[in-house]
Amino acid sequence: MNWTADEAAKTFFEEREVEMALDYHKCAQEIVNNIGGRENVAQAAHCATRLRLVIKDNDKINKEALDNIEGVKGMFESNGQLQLIIGTGTVNKVYDEFLAITGMTAATKDDVKKAAAAKQPVWKQMLKTLGDVFVPILPAIVASGLMMGIVEALGKAIPSFSSSDWYGFLDLISNTAFAYLPVLVAISAARVFGGNIFLGAVVGLAMVHSALANAWSAGSADMVFDVWYLFGPNAPKLGSWVIGQVQQKGYQGHVIPVIIAVFIMSKLEAWLHKHIPEMIDLFVVPLCTIFVTLFITFTFIGPIFSQLETWVLTGAEWLVQNPIGACAMGALYPWTVVMGLHHMYNIIEAGMLASTGLNTWMPIASAANFAQFGACLAVGIKSKNAKTKSVAVPSSLSAALGITEPAIFGVNMRFFKPFICGMIGGMAGALFGALPRATALGATAYGVTGIPGYLTINQPLTYTLLLLISCGIAFALTWILWSEEAPETEKKTTAVQTTPEVGNLADAGSNVPLGLGVCVIRSSAGDIMKPINGDVIPYNKIPDPTFASGALGQGVGIEPRGGDIVYSPCEGTISSVAESKHAVGITGPNGQEILVHVGIDTVDMNGDGFVDYVKEGDKVKAGQPLVKFDQEKIKKAGHSSVVVLLLTNSDDYDDVRYGENLNN
Amino acid sequence: MKTFEYTITDPVGIHARPAGLLVKAVKACDSAVTITTKDGKSADAKKLLALMGLGIKQGDTITVSVDGGSEDASAAAIEKFLKENL
Repeated sequence: MNWTADEAAKTFFEEREVEMALDYHKCAQEIVNNIGGRENVAQAAHCATRLRLVIKDNDKINKEALDNIEGVKGMFESNGQLQLIIGTGTVNKVYDEFLAITGMTAATKDDVKKAAAAKQPVWKQMLKTLGDVFVPILPAIVASGLMMGIVEALGKAIPSFSSSDWYGFLDLISNTAFAYLPVLVAISAARVFGGNIFLGAVVGLAMVHSALANAWSAGSADMVFDVWYLFGPNAPKLGSWVIGQVQQKGYQGHVIPVIIAVFIMSKLEAWLHKHIPEMIDLFVVPLCTIFVTLFITFTFIGPIFSQLETWVLTGAEWLVQNPIGACAMGALYPWTVVMGLHHMYNIIEAGMLASTGLNTWMPIASAANFAQFGACLAVGIKSKNAKTKSVAVPSSLSAALGITEPAIFGVNMRFFKPFICGMIGGMAGALFGALPRATALGATAYGVTGIPGYLTINQPLTYTLLLLISCGIAFALTWILWSEEAPETEKKTTAVQTTPEVGNLADAGSNVPLGLGVCVIRSSAGDIMKPINGDVIPYNKIPDPTFASGALGQGVGIEPRGGDIVYSPCEGTISSVAESKHAVGITGPNGQEILVHVGIDTVDMNGDGFVDYVKEGDKVKAGQPLVKFDQEKIKKAGHSSVVVLLLTNSDDYDDVRYGENLNN
Repeated sequence: MKTFEYTITDPVGIHARPAGLLVKAVKACDSAVTITTKDGKSADAKKLLALMGLGIKQGDTITVSVDGGSEDASAAAIEKFLKENL
């Protein structure tokens, strides 16, 4: 069955009419029967309307029978895929049945992946979130980590250097990213959770506010923090903790409390935006968001984490008394880095030096850190993905110098298996370090681990063995157990880019906007449909004064979600395509002048990140692709990617309505 | 009919937003206004898409023709708008 461009466009709308009472199981079973069974399917995925199958042997397909199955509205082959048109709202159910019957797992299309992500266990989703938050800030912390390692090592190696002005200066610039890590984390987390990044920054800044005592100085154990009692010192207590009690201590080095705080903030902000009238939105929403978030953070999340810190500290002190405990600590150590609790350990180290003159904690920490280095290095060497490599290699170097955050958050934790391998390596190294021997292995100072640790260690040879054991085991295990997921979705995208003809619209696959078929601007001249999937905002809420003023006519903005292709909102003639490809003018059948403008101020990108599928004078059908855009590039250029859809001559009509869904 | 020439200084040329503002300014006049480019393409300045379709860039010289109504006032108003905005 061959499709012409026009037919392809037309079905976008027609396919939405879902047949009711379809027996999904029966439909899926018949499909399986007529494609040569499970063995003949290499991959299965679905988009908005189609079941997309990669078939091994096309000869085993009974095309006629497939076409006659109830629920299958059509089929065609394209790009090595067998595509069965089933329809919106139905295809996913048939697909589920299809998977159940064949026992296959969801394939690699983006939306399928997302659906699968939603079904992942909570801990996996949390790890993924942690990775999403950390990846964008890696450049900052990798740079900082490497520099900090070098500066600290130099300071230990050359005592006179540590009192020089250069040291002070280098120390300042190298540890900035770590001293204010909560701010970076908060901004990134706000982006991940969809909150306002500036409010996110405020939350992060408040948590390391200079009026609060610095958490790093908690190293001196006798430090007592001032406390505010928001509900008075006699308020009800939970254990020894008075409700409303706020310790005047910052969250330097913390990660998890910051992410939790920003998560609360983002959800709260979104909820308030929905429920607060627009007129007072700007007064109420940011104020309430910040106040409530920080109140909860300082009075609830904060105390929970200080309690955790105390427990970890007590537990760690108790554990390192014997080799078995040390071994356990070697495994648990990276977890405490994840929780941001590791900066407490200076207290233990200082205590050891004061009582015995030997810091036996340091070899354990070194084993744990060096194992993460090994695991991260294995990822860096084994990975074929240039991006992964470019993160993993420098991150591992930083870890070798004792600063493991980039390696843990940016690499090992994200893939998780390397993290576990690192734990095992750390365990082995720590056990080796704590084995009874004539003189215990230990350091004569504290503050450095990994390679700089040589400067303070009492037995360099044993220490070398310890590092080799931890790093070697972690490296070997990661090398064997970890393998990269193939980046199949990327290939698909390139395929779309090279085949922009309308006939291959079907290949746009997961980009097909589910929103198509929804009318967003209506007048006596005809309906204008939603050109891309996403949230609809009225034109006066478009984040640009000119569009919002209505000077260019009435209409809507759509905040794209998921897709990257803008489709024609109606039939008509292309009257202009901006040289910078981001804006298209369409003249509708009744003289409507419609402007489709991708992003705000995107004119200055000069076409970079945009692919246009139409040219001036082209006749287009509704649902035909107009422009493909790269949301990442728009974001990088600092612009909003709102797709502006305006009826520019709305003054000519007296019955223009616009909104989220005018279908009814 | 009254005509005058103007050279665009706005770095993005007559793109969507400036074009929209120009249309608005022209609609406020009582004359018919036509814009013609160097290569002879012309458009009704009240029609946004036609205007954008001219693809006028920075450095291009356009000819503005004002016809009917209070031509002098219209021409002055449009010239002023162009100088201020484009």
